[in-house]
Amino acid sequence: MPSRNPRMAVVIGRLLAIAFLLCFGTGIYSHFLQDPLPWMSFPTRPVGLYQLSQGIHITAGILCFPLLFAKLYIVFPELFQTPPVRSLPHFLERASIALFVASSIVQIVIGLLNTYQWYALFPFPFRQTHYALSFVIIGSLAIHIAVKLDIIAKYWRKSPVASVDSTVSTTPLSEPVETPADLTVASAPGTLTSSHSRNAVIRAEGITGKLFAWIDKTPAADARTSRRGFLTIVTVASAAVVGLSAGQSFKLFDGVNVFGARKQGVGPGGLPVNRTAAAAKIEEVAMDPDWVLTVSNGSESKTFNRTQLLALQQYTVDLPISCVEGWSQMATWKGVRLGDLVDAVGARGGTAVKATSLEQNSSYAIMHMGPEYVRDDLTLVALELNGAPLDLDHGFPARMIAPGRPGVLQTKWLSSLEVLS
Amino acid sequence: MTAVRRWQIGLIVLGLALFVVGGITLLNDVNPKRYLGIAIWFAGALVIHDGIISFVVFGANIVMRKTGGRLRVPLPAILIVQGALVLAAIMTLIVVPAALKKSIGTANPTLLPLDYGLHLLVFYGVLAVVTAAALAGYALLRRRRSRARVAA
Repeated sequence: MPSRNPRMAVVIGRLLAIAFLLCFGTGIYSHFLQDPLPWMSFPTRPVGLYQLSQGIHITAGILCFPLLFAKLYIVFPELFQTPPVRSLPHFLERASIALFVASSIVQIVIGLLNTYQWYALFPFPFRQTHYALSFVIIGSLAIHIAVKLDIIAKYWRKSPVASVDSTVSTTPLSEPVETPADLTVASAPGTLTSSHSRNAVIRAEGITGKLFAWIDKTPAADARTSRRGFLTIVTVASAAVVGLSAGQSFKLFDGVNVFGARKQGVGPGGLPVNRTAAAAKIEEVAMDPDWVLTVSNGSESKTFNRTQLLALQQYTVDLPISCVEGWSQMATWKGVRLGDLVDAVGARGGTAVKATSLEQNSSYAIMHMGPEYVRDDLTLVALELNGAPLDLDHGFPARMIAPGRPGVLQTKWLSSLEVLS
Repeated sequence: MTAVRRWQIGLIVLGLALFVVGGITLLNDVNPKRYLGIAIWFAGALVIHDGIISFVVFGANIVMRKTGGRLRVPLPAILIVQGALVLAAIMTLIVVPAALKKSIGTANPTLLPLDYGLHLLVFYGVLAVVTAAALAGYALLRRRRSRARVAA
């Protein structure tokens, strides 16, 4: 059984586990950036930290497609265990695998669809469901590793502890596959054992077993060619899906970005947009000549119109816009330091800020910012983007830009800033 | 108790704890009216993958091996073609939704800005050329090898 064997399941399985854990870790980080617990504080350097973490999140997510398909292909014959259920532990094991497979598929599919903003396809909220499922998946992964720990340990290294697999591999497959008796014994999932018969092959009995045996000897070839061929296919497919879409997150791949959901340099001011002014329904209020930014600290309050903001000390910073949907692009911003504005209303020391957008009815219309960002020299109330006044879609008349935060927290169309005590 | 057994128990406890966290999160954050939709998607994922995709792949594999066997195509050549088909299929699964969503309409022009249908066709074309080149390269290599064998 060249490519459908425990060793291959372990090789692909651990790559998939790494991809899942990368997605989980970066996802949790992104979640708490948006919904921090009261005691949380976040690093602001490197400035591209969120670009990196969220870029890894969606790139590893896309990588899960070929890896998950490969893993499911390897263990496909396991689907046809006879009898389907042997005992309560066996039932639990199969049920947990069904949950694991279903939640993994749903998770990567809705994640992909989220990057296309195609929400109408699923009748449940994306963010909350994606978050809840991540725990189900990592929990299933832990249980799956526990149940298969014997096999994983045995086939972790290239030459397995047991010699049975190598016997199978080196058996000339042109011979009629009369698998040795102990190999055709159905494994007894649910009972943890180190017996060779359980771990040596993935299912050789039944119709599927016979069909797979036939596939593996048609044409006759050495098992190494099959295995290498399989690994090569998985590698090339992984490289292709990642390489041709990762340009949306990482400029390095921009030249070959033919399938990414975003493209560097495409958008007003050379920068993509997630929520337009029209979608936020703020066009009128944002263009109102009487617009002012209100900055308050307790009873002390000041207002600034755009001209007054432009008259303050201006700073230019290079910071990426990094969307929760994974796309990122570097941009040059010019504006007033947030620290200077809160100083102007008498704020002292580390202080948190509540920013309010002109936009109504959006969960991101009100944004909280911890002191680590408020007091960062790179955090600006931006008035210009890439050398031109902010485009309305990028947050005119003024928007927030801070290092290491997701785009949804870089509040556009600012209306007020309130220093929190 | 062996070390393996201790790890197993620890991992299962961890897994169950994460299930609890996931369950509580679902209860707190997702309206129960949506649970049926999630359940339908779970069932749909299993039906579409385990019931359809895996059988199509399995069937295609059998057909290819049968054809390959009849025409006496060596395994590496079959694997090259199968690899190309796998690559085309996975890319189709990922890119076709982008093309469809773009044709339905997006929230703004910077979302899905590329011509995904055209790019996918170009991808198929390049893939076909590379596959043909790989097959030719393999045929050449095989001929050279068999000649070397004859010479020896």
